[in-house]
Amino acid sequence: MSTAVEVDDLSFAHTGADLPALERVSFRVSAGESVALLGPSGAGKTTLLALLDGRLQGWSGRVSVLGAPLDPDRPPPSARRPDTGFVFQEFALVERSSVLRNVLNGRLGRMSPLRALLGSPTKHDLEIARTALADCGIADLAERRVDSLSGGQRQRVAIARCLAQEPRLILADEPVSNLDPAHACEILALLTGAARTRGATALFSSHQPDLARRFAQRIIGMRDGRIVFDVPTSELNDDATAELYREVGPIPGIGLRAVS
Amino acid sequence: MAFRGFGGIATSGLIAAAILWSFATTDVEFSRLLSAGPRIADFFGRMFPPDPTVMAEIKKGSAETLRIAILGTLGAVILSVPLGILASETMVSPAVFRPIRTLLAFIRAIPLILVAMLMVGAVGLGPLPGIIAVAFHATGMLAKFYAEAIDGVSRAPIAALESAGAGPLVRLRYAIWPQMAPVVARDTIFRFELNLRESLILGIVGAGGIGFYIQTYVRSFQYDKAASVTIAVVVMVIAIEAINVALRRRFT
Ligand SMILES: Nc1ncnc2c1ncn2[C@@H]1O[C@H](COP(=O)(O)OP(=O)(O)O)[C@@H](O)[C@H]1O
Ligand SMILES: [Mg+2]
Repeated sequence: MSTAVEVDDLSFAHTGADLPALERVSFRVSAGESVALLGPSGAGKTTLLALLDGRLQGWSGRVSVLGAPLDPDRPPPSARRPDTGFVFQEFALVERSSVLRNVLNGRLGRMSPLRALLGSPTKHDLEIARTALADCGIADLAERRVDSLSGGQRQRVAIARCLAQEPRLILADEPVSNLDPAHACEILALLTGAARTRGATALFSSHQPDLARRFAQRIIGMRDGRIVFDVPTSELNDDATAELYREVGPIPGIGLRAVS
Repeated sequence: MAFRGFGGIATSGLIAAAILWSFATTDVEFSRLLSAGPRIADFFGRMFPPDPTVMAEIKKGSAETLRIAILGTLGAVILSVPLGILASETMVSPAVFRPIRTLLAFIRAIPLILVAMLMVGAVGLGPLPGIIAVAFHATGMLAKFYAEAIDGVSRAPIAALESAGAGPLVRLRYAIWPQMAPVVARDTIFRFELNLRESLILGIVGAGGIGFYIQTYVRSFQYDKAASVTIAVVVMVIAIEAINVALRRRFT
């Protein structure tokens, strides 16, 4: 099976931070896998995912995404960026634009810059955007402005934008941290299901062990910038998760510090 | 609380001193105030009934004032786009935006009427010095507003588009501009309204517009005609304000 993500001895510190956000991190994700990054707030999940997305520079180690090595000093060429899709923790939608416009924004990297600037998506682009909307159950919201939507609806728009990008690797940062448990399950089923039917790899972060267990084939536990365990979901035991949240709070997710 | 502690006492003392100083050194003759009543009554008496024969002058004057405000605002927008970018901390380094912001504060500190007088001296009488003066004066505020609009844009959607592979111009169009547009529109409309109000007086220094007629009629004691022009000015200001309030509401 081919490799979607390969990380070897990766360390990184944010500028101005005293402690490294990632310390000697190594793991690999096979193409088509669904993997959860589990860990308390501040563990380094967002940092790791942003780094894999090519948005952080100045790290050490070796990182390879979809078969191509990342350069520690510069962002990947824009031609490669659409292959990696990102679902942002705080959605990162353009609030004043329509749902359809936001989902079409996911296609901008797949269009020629001129077509993108002229604002004329092809029939093909529109079809993909509409399919993504339908898959996320928000086809009827296409013309609504994002600032009129609920948190759960915004989360669906953010996922639809990512799917419209047709990524081969989906990175999702706490995609359900803003939702109640019922909606959280729905969204994670949607995300991992969409990845599976599209043959894409999914790597999502979560601070809730029960959700990670339910929707990932493999779970990577993180704490203080280090990988604490990396096991198939069936082998995850409560001692391991307890170790992850030691001194931070009881599982699952009750009394944790605010998720950053 | 504003006036607490030693600083509060010092502030209160300073305010009291300023008021006393103003009374002591200004030639305030209360006898003149007492005799003002009948004179004002006489003045208003001579304003009525307003003379309706000055309709042609009113039309010409208000059209010119409107043109000065429109072209002055246009000039200010053209100047404020580059200056606003250069004054924003998200677009340029402190070495650039600090001096530009100082320059804008300096421009704001110069009263419009002063700029207009200088411009009349430089380019002669008529609406042209008025337009230039309004454009210059308004840029001090508008460029600052534009810079704040740029700096108020949320960064996350820009990063999201970059992550999707969109280039800088495409990000400007789909992530930055949609966030800025309503602010820019509201600020520009607001500044247009100010420009219109402020340019009413430009005629007094010969920089064009309806103020010229008020000045002429008052100087030649034709108060009934001055009254008509004044009514026209008030109607115009109220109408523009109503239109602008309605317009501003559309940009949310
Ligand atoms: N922009 C930043 N500048 C400095 N420190 C940061 C920044 N972002 C995150 N950190 C720090 O890096 C560590 C990891 O944070 P993050 O990756 O956001 O963790 P998580 O997503 O697991 O909550 C934390 O200690 C956090 O305070
Ligand atoms: Mg995070």
